[in-house]
Amino acid sequence: MLKKALICAASISVMMIAGAAHADTKGKKIALSNNYAGNSWRQAMLKSWDKVTKKAVADGVVAAADAFTTSENQVTEQAAQIQNLILQGYNAIVINAASPDALNGVVKQACDAGITVVSFDGIVTEPCAWRVAVDFKKMGRLEVEYLAKKMPAGGNLLEIRGLAGVFVDDEIHAGIADGVKANPQFKIVGSVHGNWAQEVAQKEVAGILPSLPEIKAVVTQGGDGYGAAQAFAAAGRPTPTIIMGNRQDELQWWKEQKDKNGYETMSASIAPGVSTLAFWVAQMILDGKQVPKDLTVPFLTIEQANIDAAVANTEKGGVANVEYSAADAAKVVAGK
Amino acid sequence: MKPALKRLGHQPWLGSFIAATVVWLMTIAFTGGQGGGEILTSALSFGTFTVIVGLGQMMVITTGPGNVDLSIPATMTLSGVIAMKIMNTDEALLLIGILAALSASLVVGVANYILIRLLRIPPIIATLSSSFLILSTAISYGRGIRIKPPPSLAEFATVRYAGVPVVAVAVVALSFLLAIVLKRTIYGRTVLAIGQNERAAWLAGLNVKSVRFATYLLSALFAGICGILQSGFSGGAALNMGDDFLLSSIAVVVIGGTSVAGGKANVPGIWGAALFMYLLVTMLNIFGASPGVRLILTGVMIIAVITMAGGEKASR
Repeated sequence: MLKKALICAASISVMMIAGAAHADTKGKKIALSNNYAGNSWRQAMLKSWDKVTKKAVADGVVAAADAFTTSENQVTEQAAQIQNLILQGYNAIVINAASPDALNGVVKQACDAGITVVSFDGIVTEPCAWRVAVDFKKMGRLEVEYLAKKMPAGGNLLEIRGLAGVFVDDEIHAGIADGVKANPQFKIVGSVHGNWAQEVAQKEVAGILPSLPEIKAVVTQGGDGYGAAQAFAAAGRPTPTIIMGNRQDELQWWKEQKDKNGYETMSASIAPGVSTLAFWVAQMILDGKQVPKDLTVPFLTIEQANIDAAVANTEKGGVANVEYSAADAAKVVAGK
Repeated sequence: MKPALKRLGHQPWLGSFIAATVVWLMTIAFTGGQGGGEILTSALSFGTFTVIVGLGQMMVITTGPGNVDLSIPATMTLSGVIAMKIMNTDEALLLIGILAALSASLVVGVANYILIRLLRIPPIIATLSSSFLILSTAISYGRGIRIKPPPSLAEFATVRYAGVPVVAVAVVALSFLLAIVLKRTIYGRTVLAIGQNERAAWLAGLNVKSVRFATYLLSALFAGICGILQSGFSGGAALNMGDDFLLSSIAVVVIGGTSVAGGKANVPGIWGAALFMYLLVTMLNIFGASPGVRLILTGVMIIAVITMAGGEKASR
């Protein structure tokens, strides 16, 4: 018993020494392995990475922070890319993964080579890697809770889902389903897959709309609100409360409606700047800090009161964003 | 009378129209007659876009085995992004924007043909790899992506009279024109001849090279037109606006009764197939089918329609 306690104490003191010593990360190289760049969210994500890491490199925090994107959004391609990054001698690899489990093999190889692997947004399940994840389920639940507050009488909902078969889609959907279960005054009368794209959402909603009764609100996964609004307008139906994502066109539309007729809704999304949070987490790990393997990032919500500011701060065609600092990352790691 | 009816029965495009009608009837039976007209209207609106790129794809596929244009989605995106960015919601720049977008599309067509002809890369690989280049150009040029279209373009793309979208009427006219080109012009006949037997066409003194070149240009041009219209229709251009059209542009060609082996084109079938594809997804959405079931049923229905349309082989 005493022996155990001693070992424990010893290991704690070693950890503290390591923490206090601040293993220098000046010479360390971090790489971003990204599986897709073909939409405005990913573009903003890469831009944020570029902005924050450039400054970190200039300030001498790390030696390099290069971003690599595969062209085809394919697991095999990303696996090959990560293998290259291992050979190139990066100290840490930050991954937005094409698949939660198919990259586990190559992630394990990286870990075995002594490389720190931090996944975010599209996370990997391999235990040796860190995960910076969003509580998507909570995001779905929050949408219904907001509606319950706004319209206590309830009503019919139309659900726009994301890409079928993707983890994020299942999670947000499960959250929405939970929310509806807890608030039985709401009923989902129709569900389509908008693939997180305005054009697809517009097409699918326009198709199902003629068959539906009056819709009180549309629950979404972000990136599809504007398309849904267009479909309702084209069908000559009254505009329901559409939960928005964080794309500029959605926010702009919301603001225009608000100025015209006091339209009220909310926006829930993941800030693309989460890539910078993952960067700082990787830097902290390289720095020898103790970081839990599973971290949760707050999602970005925009409320009625601050829509004007949000539109003003979002560039045309971009997405509402937050970039994280080393201090923010430390807060997330501490679980605050 | 009888031979005429018999001839109609042998038309390979009939299958897709029958399928579209059946699916539509099943849908309104399910909703108890509610929204039948509106569903048709939206099928026409959205089907039109598929038809535009489908026509271009049909011409390319008709020039023979291995010919296919996979750069259509990327070209659409590039064209939409250029058009929206140049117009910048300004009516005065409407024409310049359209011209610039279409010129860029034609450049894509030329580039595709250079890859295929001069570098002798198979069309599938050539157009796929060029689409990476095109999309990257669109991304770096576009950055700020969704800029609203000028009001007149948005109006033209969305306006409808008595439930019939104007764009759909325009594209029907375009389809007629293309059908006449295929049947009655040297260019059209040459496309068919190349598809049936390239060597025979060449020996017959037809200009195989320039006709194939023109066909890739045409496909890129149609993709460009579709990109501009789609941007007008959905309130701006987005980087992923073409994603949905890669498979659907090929699917409508095949379902519509055009021979994948080339040499046999079918214009009306593209309309039937585009309406069928849209109505099918709508029906499954309205039935509330889960995504898995939806994909399986879509696959089964497509196979069924192609088998139905494939009956014409025996008559040859």
